Amino acid sequence: MSLGPLTLIILALGLAGYLIGRRRAIAQVAGDIRKLHSLPPFYGRITALLTVVPALFLIAAWLLAEPAFIETKALSLIAAEDIPAGKSAALVMADVRRVADGVARLQDSGIEIAPLLASPSALKTALNGAAIVLETEPTVSTLAAAAALRDALASSRFALSIVALLLAALGLGFALSRITPEYRARNATERFAMWLLVASSLVAVLTTVGIVGSLLFETIHFFQIYPAADFFFSTEWNPQFRGGSSLGLWPLVWGTLYVSAIALVVAVPIGLMSAIYLAEYASRTTRSWVKPAIEILAGIPTIVYGLFALITVGPLLRDYFAAPLGLGNSSSSVMTAGLVMGIMVIPFVSSLSDDIINAVPQSLRDGSLGIGATPSETIRQVVIPAALPGIVGAVLLAASRAIGETMIVVMGAGAAAKLSLNPFEAMTTVTVKIVSQLTGDTEFASPETLVAFALGLTLFTLTLALNILALIIVRKYREQYE
Amino acid sequence: MKDQRLETRVDTQTIKIEARKAQVYYGTNHAIKDVDVDILDKTVTAFIGPSGCGKSTFLRCLNRMNDTIPSCRVEGRITLEGEDIYDPRVDPVQLRARIGMVFQKPNPFPKSIYDNVAYGPKIHGLTRNKAELDEVVESCLRKAALWNEVKDRLAAPGTGLSGGQQQRLCIARAIATSPEVLLMDEPCSALDPIATAQVEELIDELRSQFSVVIVTHSMQQAARVSQRTAFFHLGNLVEFGETGQIFTNPRDPRTESYISGRIG
Repeated sequence: MSLGPLTLIILALGLAGYLIGRRRAIAQVAGDIRKLHSLPPFYGRITALLTVVPALFLIAAWLLAEPAFIETKALSLIAAEDIPAGKSAALVMADVRRVADGVARLQDSGIEIAPLLASPSALKTALNGAAIVLETEPTVSTLAAAAALRDALASSRFALSIVALLLAALGLGFALSRITPEYRARNATERFAMWLLVASSLVAVLTTVGIVGSLLFETIHFFQIYPAADFFFSTEWNPQFRGGSSLGLWPLVWGTLYVSAIALVVAVPIGLMSAIYLAEYASRTTRSWVKPAIEILAGIPTIVYGLFALITVGPLLRDYFAAPLGLGNSSSSVMTAGLVMGIMVIPFVSSLSDDIINAVPQSLRDGSLGIGATPSETIRQVVIPAALPGIVGAVLLAASRAIGETMIVVMGAGAAAKLSLNPFEAMTTVTVKIVSQLTGDTEFASPETLVAFALGLTLFTLTLALNILALIIVRKYREQYE
Repeated sequence: MKDQRLETRVDTQTIKIEARKAQVYYGTNHAIKDVDVDILDKTVTAFIGPSGCGKSTFLRCLNRMNDTIPSCRVEGRITLEGEDIYDPRVDPVQLRARIGMVFQKPNPFPKSIYDNVAYGPKIHGLTRNKAELDEVVESCLRKAALWNEVKDRLAAPGTGLSGGQQQRLCIARAIATSPEVLLMDEPCSALDPIATAQVEELIDELRSQFSVVIVTHSMQQAARVSQRTAFFHLGNLVEFGETGQIFTNPRDPRTESYISGRIG
């Protein structure tokens, strides 16, 4: 049975469970629902939940685990000599999957497949006709593996249908057997709701774990074929398609930090000062249109900022600053990308800081003004210190945004990895190199590609460290206000 | 706390603040109508009256704290030692250094105890060096009866003190600029009885150096700490006189009703 109807049947069982559970509860007290612990719908609800939820969980878990099981089975059928030199088993498995898929599709469109299976070349032509392109003619062992894959999939789905329906029926029976007038269906529903919420928050946590896990896995691969010392301590970044690349981390990290630092030097003062103006000086009407206007900056796609950097800011900086000062004549530079990125993150700083400054209690301002402090003294010495933890949070959010930015760097700062202090020179960042390494022509298992994961992990560690730093600062300076 | 109701005598003292025909509007709402009050030097003046009668509003007019509310408008004449405080030549910032204020809820700054008290002297440049500043901080904390409790932890945050200590810290902070008048807006309403007693005792001591104006909801408190009392009702100053007279022999029937608990 395919998944759609299976799910529908389980949901139908759940609906039936709701109706039966409710009726059963009413029947047990002969219609006098005051004798029940909970209102009748609660009995229906808990019955439906016990029917549906475990079965759906089983289906989800089964689907997650299924590929691993059946593919190892199919893989064992492929003869070692059928795996071409230089190709991994994973590539062959991709072929197997495509063939299995294609045969299923041909079968669905009513084509006799028995003669096709006998002749690989005919099969290839037929598959091409069904929009499935194979590089080479399928070998005998590929065909066998594809057949095994299809069989395993079919039997796995059959078993899944049986087990899931059984579980739904069991849940239904269990729930019905528990219904008595004393049964606290209302509280049980409540507990169920809590577990549902727990499960939802787990999804977010597990996703993070999954992302880190996948990065870590490929990074370990990378370090098996490329020396870690070279990655961490070399100052040269020079990937080669033919191998023998130097993949030193530092030029990229330097570029990232340099660009982000310039971005923050632009964004933090401007953002903070406009936040102070909005929160402390602007009238209500001014604020109501200035604030959204600033926030529009956050809504501009970064590629548009990139264009702005490429055709306006870059040439401007080159013609009026870099060239006259003799600092180079490249229109892509760290300064270009940093300035434009700074403008992009202004709203992150200003909008959040504005909210935070507004949340500082008026009584503190009154206290300071009441002693005869001017508004700006009050802001500098009382309001900003009180809002500091939140402002640090806003700045770090902007920093992570700047560190992760790619498009503006590609178009504004170029793609040359360099360790240089000159802000008017082209440099590049970790994110840009991740993209270019992963989209290059080299094969996946080479260090030139896998280095992207090591870079990704480095970036992740960097932002994690920033966040921890932020937490420490916030804890240290936090003040409690009612 | 001694009951001063009957023994209170007001000496003939100089007038510190004089209000004549003071009017306050919030937008179109006429909140204070025709108030005439004289605040005497080295005297505690209490403003009493039911909630919403305008006593806090009027208090905030005396040091122009109402300037921070955009819709607020003040008319009439309010003078400090004969000088109109609403004159355009008067700098409200300087004025507030001369007329300090303590608020209803303790509002210590997110700074150390020391820096809380040193805040005013620092921004007004009242001291020449660190030693002098230390002296000012210590003497203000002593005047606020807080020195013995905090002298070992002056660097600790002011927000970590108890409610009563925080309010005394705010009083120390307010007197550190050596104001001539101290305005207190229900300074004890967020405090427990013991802390209230301490603050009341403190107010009585402060009287020897400052003129104090206190807004209070508690008639007992007004009777205990003040020498002169003003009763406000619906934005009008109903009666103003010596505390003993107001509480024992009110002239206006509204005052009598309020004091005996019939209105308010």
